[in-house]
Amino acid sequence: MPRPLGISSLQILAAVRDGSTYGLDIVARTGLPSGTVYPTLGRLRRHGQLRAHWEDQRQADREGRSRRRYYELTPEGEAALSVGMTRVEEAARALGLRDRKATG
Amino acid sequence: MNGRPSRRSLLYLRACGLLVPRYRRREWVEEWIGELEALSDARARGRKDTYPGTLGFLAGALPHALWTRREEWTMDGLMQDVRYGLRMIRRGPGFSLVAILTLALGIGANGAIFSLVNGVLLRPPPGVADPGRMVQIARSYDEAPRWDNWSWPAFKLIQSESDAMAGVEGFSGGSFLLGRGQDTELVPGEYVSGGYFRLLGVNPAVGRLLDPGDEVSPGGHPVVVLSHGLWQRRYGRDPEVVGQVLHVGGEPYEIVGVAPEEFVGVDAMGTPPELWVSAMQRQGSRGGSVLDRWGSSWFYVFGKLAPGVSLPEAEASMDRVTAGLRSAWEENRDIRALLAPGLGLTPEERAEGRRIFLLLGGIALMVLLLTCANVGNLFLARAATRETEMGIRQALGAGKTRLVRQLVTESVAMALAAALITVPLLSGAGTTLKALFPFSLAVPLAPDLRVYLFLVGVALLAGVLFGTAPALALARRDVAHTLREGASTGGRSRTRLRDTLVVGQLAISLGLVSGAALLGRSVLNASRADPGFDPDGVLVGFINLAASGRYEGQSLVDYQRRLVSALERIPGVETAALAGQAPILGGHARSTVAAADRPDDPRARFEAEYTVVTPGYFDALDVPLLQGRTLRPPEEEPERVVVVNETLARMFWPGQEAVGQELIGGEDRFRVVGVVGDVQMRSLRSPANPGVYYPFHQEEEPYVSIHLRTRGPAPSVISAMKAAVASVDPEVPVTGITDLRSGLSRSLSETRTFGIVVAVFAGLALALSVVGLYGLIAYGVSQRVREMGIRMALGAPGRQLVRLVLARGLVLSGFGLVLGLGVALAVGWALKGALFGVGAANPSALAGSAVLLLGSGLLAAWIPARRASRVDAAVSLRE
Repeated sequence: MPRPLGISSLQILAAVRDGSTYGLDIVARTGLPSGTVYPTLGRLRRHGQLRAHWEDQRQADREGRSRRRYYELTPEGEAALSVGMTRVEEAARALGLRDRKATG
Repeated sequence: MNGRPSRRSLLYLRACGLLVPRYRRREWVEEWIGELEALSDARARGRKDTYPGTLGFLAGALPHALWTRREEWTMDGLMQDVRYGLRMIRRGPGFSLVAILTLALGIGANGAIFSLVNGVLLRPPPGVADPGRMVQIARSYDEAPRWDNWSWPAFKLIQSESDAMAGVEGFSGGSFLLGRGQDTELVPGEYVSGGYFRLLGVNPAVGRLLDPGDEVSPGGHPVVVLSHGLWQRRYGRDPEVVGQVLHVGGEPYEIVGVAPEEFVGVDAMGTPPELWVSAMQRQGSRGGSVLDRWGSSWFYVFGKLAPGVSLPEAEASMDRVTAGLRSAWEENRDIRALLAPGLGLTPEERAEGRRIFLLLGGIALMVLLLTCANVGNLFLARAATRETEMGIRQALGAGKTRLVRQLVTESVAMALAAALITVPLLSGAGTTLKALFPFSLAVPLAPDLRVYLFLVGVALLAGVLFGTAPALALARRDVAHTLREGASTGGRSRTRLRDTLVVGQLAISLGLVSGAALLGRSVLNASRADPGFDPDGVLVGFINLAASGRYEGQSLVDYQRRLVSALERIPGVETAALAGQAPILGGHARSTVAAADRPDDPRARFEAEYTVVTPGYFDALDVPLLQGRTLRPPEEEPERVVVVNETLARMFWPGQEAVGQELIGGEDRFRVVGVVGDVQMRSLRSPANPGVYYPFHQEEEPYVSIHLRTRGPAPSVISAMKAAVASVDPEVPVTGITDLRSGLSRSLSETRTFGIVVAVFAGLALALSVVGLYGLIAYGVSQRVREMGIRMALGAPGRQLVRLVLARGLVLSGFGLVLGLGVALAVGWALKGALFGVGAANPSALAGSAVLLLGSGLLAAWIPARRASRVDAAVSLRE
């Protein structure tokens, strides 16, 4: 059973949802260290929340570089992300973060 | 677009990649190179603010590689293997059940033996604080080394001279008569020195325990401490028990306290004591106190090392004790005080226990090996059906290590399941084995953490043992080859492995079967051996008059006379006699005698069997009179006379008439009036000792064994015996009633125990290996159906095919036989101490077992052979 997703996993899922397709892109968008991003990608993939595929070799050759591995969200991943977001929002409300923001 | 990573970065990535499992390594490195190129590109395009630096980015590769590796080997991966293993177990429940039950046999056998070893040899006596600092102190002699008890004066001397000890205390076991009138009972108990409980660190459950204040004046401390069991049984755990009066040996004693439940004394052998009284209360026989007598050794002494003193240092300090003992009493000239670590068992008992457990453990190990071979073979047979599956998994990228690991995980899971089902059986098996044992054990045998750890260890070992070979055989197969050929052909090497495993099983069974034959033969021999008397129809019971404390001198003689006449009146009793000891059963005693004509001749001086008897004794046991006469009733026997046995007569007066000679024993002289045949007093295994029989009325012997030669059925005589004893004195009970024949066969219980254990294991072993052989041959036949069909089509008669298959069974059994003869010789050699009248390499036992093995082997081959002969040529060719 996968544990409830942590903040960094949610950040990474959100980055993929918002169009980041490969590791470096996700590192840049989230600002997380690479030592966190790559293992987390592996774990999300193992739990079926992300799907990975290799870029077509011809495409890479055309651009004169090595192949990249692209990630995309699975339906499970989307579900996990929305559950996680709800949890984060609830936690934020419980901590009173929303209220302060509203009054401030 | 020219963001090629530097050589150094590539080198670093490849180095990190070495940590990644091989089958994922290429992908892993490729992904990182791609990412690194993208990073250089982006930075070259001047977007340095959103992208990390190359060094920082590359730093993440190492944790990623480590994570990948860990994921492979730990939680996720391993759980996956376990889940997969459990799925396989569920998918083939029949196969798994057989495998698990077979394994449970091997693992359970080892667990049961180990829980005995643990209880008897490894675990210190329960309820004792700091058992590791305890030492036993024993009496030995330079001339005749031994391990023996001490006299009271010697104990007091050791206590005052042992400066390396934090304390020296002691105890002595005895039987105590409890209560008065109707509710008297005889219970085991202990006389203890004052500091006994304090040195052992035992605290009372109720009231107080004995303390040094209870060891001041002889006979002056009528106080008693109850065991927890006695408190529960006799007083229903009444907390008001302290201060009540309990009659012990007819004297009123005050109950001062109750010992804690777990404390059962420190002696691992015998029945646990039910009460403790001060050693000051011990009465001497023949009047007088035993407390000031150097010559009377009855006290077991132990000590606790002083803080900071090591065992060798304590041993060295015993020299002072030895010197003190030697100068204290003239007969202590070559006495020596010895030390041994630990309590519970003396070094001799410990060595004996170790010998027995090594044997049983060896047998259990053989059973484990055999079951592993058997289950290994099952796995190998199944491997054929899983070859395609393994091939596909390999083709999909599973590494060979991973496959092997997964198969071994499956085997280990099965072995652990087997261990789990043995746990509830374990305490039962321990109790059974304990009951089978030749000595009684006071220690509890409930399995503890150590036993469970042992079980897990054995299960892991077994799982790896029987899992590795089939797994390797499977994984060695080439993927492409497997997929191309399907699973039709088993590898040649695997067939050879299966043959070897079956041969090994047959060899082990032969060893066990021949061991069982040797032991069975021994029990038979021993029950037929002539013990020197006729045990059939003789009933024996024991009376302890010392425990009642009421009989001495003339009153003792009167009691005995009244008892004999009461016993003789029982219908169905032919002869009634009393004696100080009963052959084999107990009450054994020895006393030194010498020929009066040459008292200094060492060949005419011996510590002979000391047996006091009433006149009817030799008739009751049917011991033949060889010369002279037997003993007569008191009024006809004013002189001090004895009867000697044949061995003593021959030893003391070779070639002469023994009748008319004189013996010296202690202060007294005795005239020999008769010579009787030898009786094996102590053991059926060893030759009879020289022995002397004394008239009952001339010696004061408070330990009495009743011997009745009967005609009638035993049960009615037993109750009549109890009634007769009660009619003489209702407060003196008779205990341990048994017939001499079953007593004799009990004395062979060590041999019998081994016999039963080995026979049970041998039977199971033979059955398992024959089934294994059958499976192997049947598999071979099923693989060769096509070939058989062709042979039939070409005109081979069915008989020839039968011969072909039988031959294979014979060859395998033959190899098993040759190897098994070696195993059988080793088993026989190891059992030597338990054998009776049969050699370790007994040809008929070996031949018999060999015939049994070959016969069962042929039978196992016969069934598939017949099937082969009925192969329908047309059908088999079409398939």
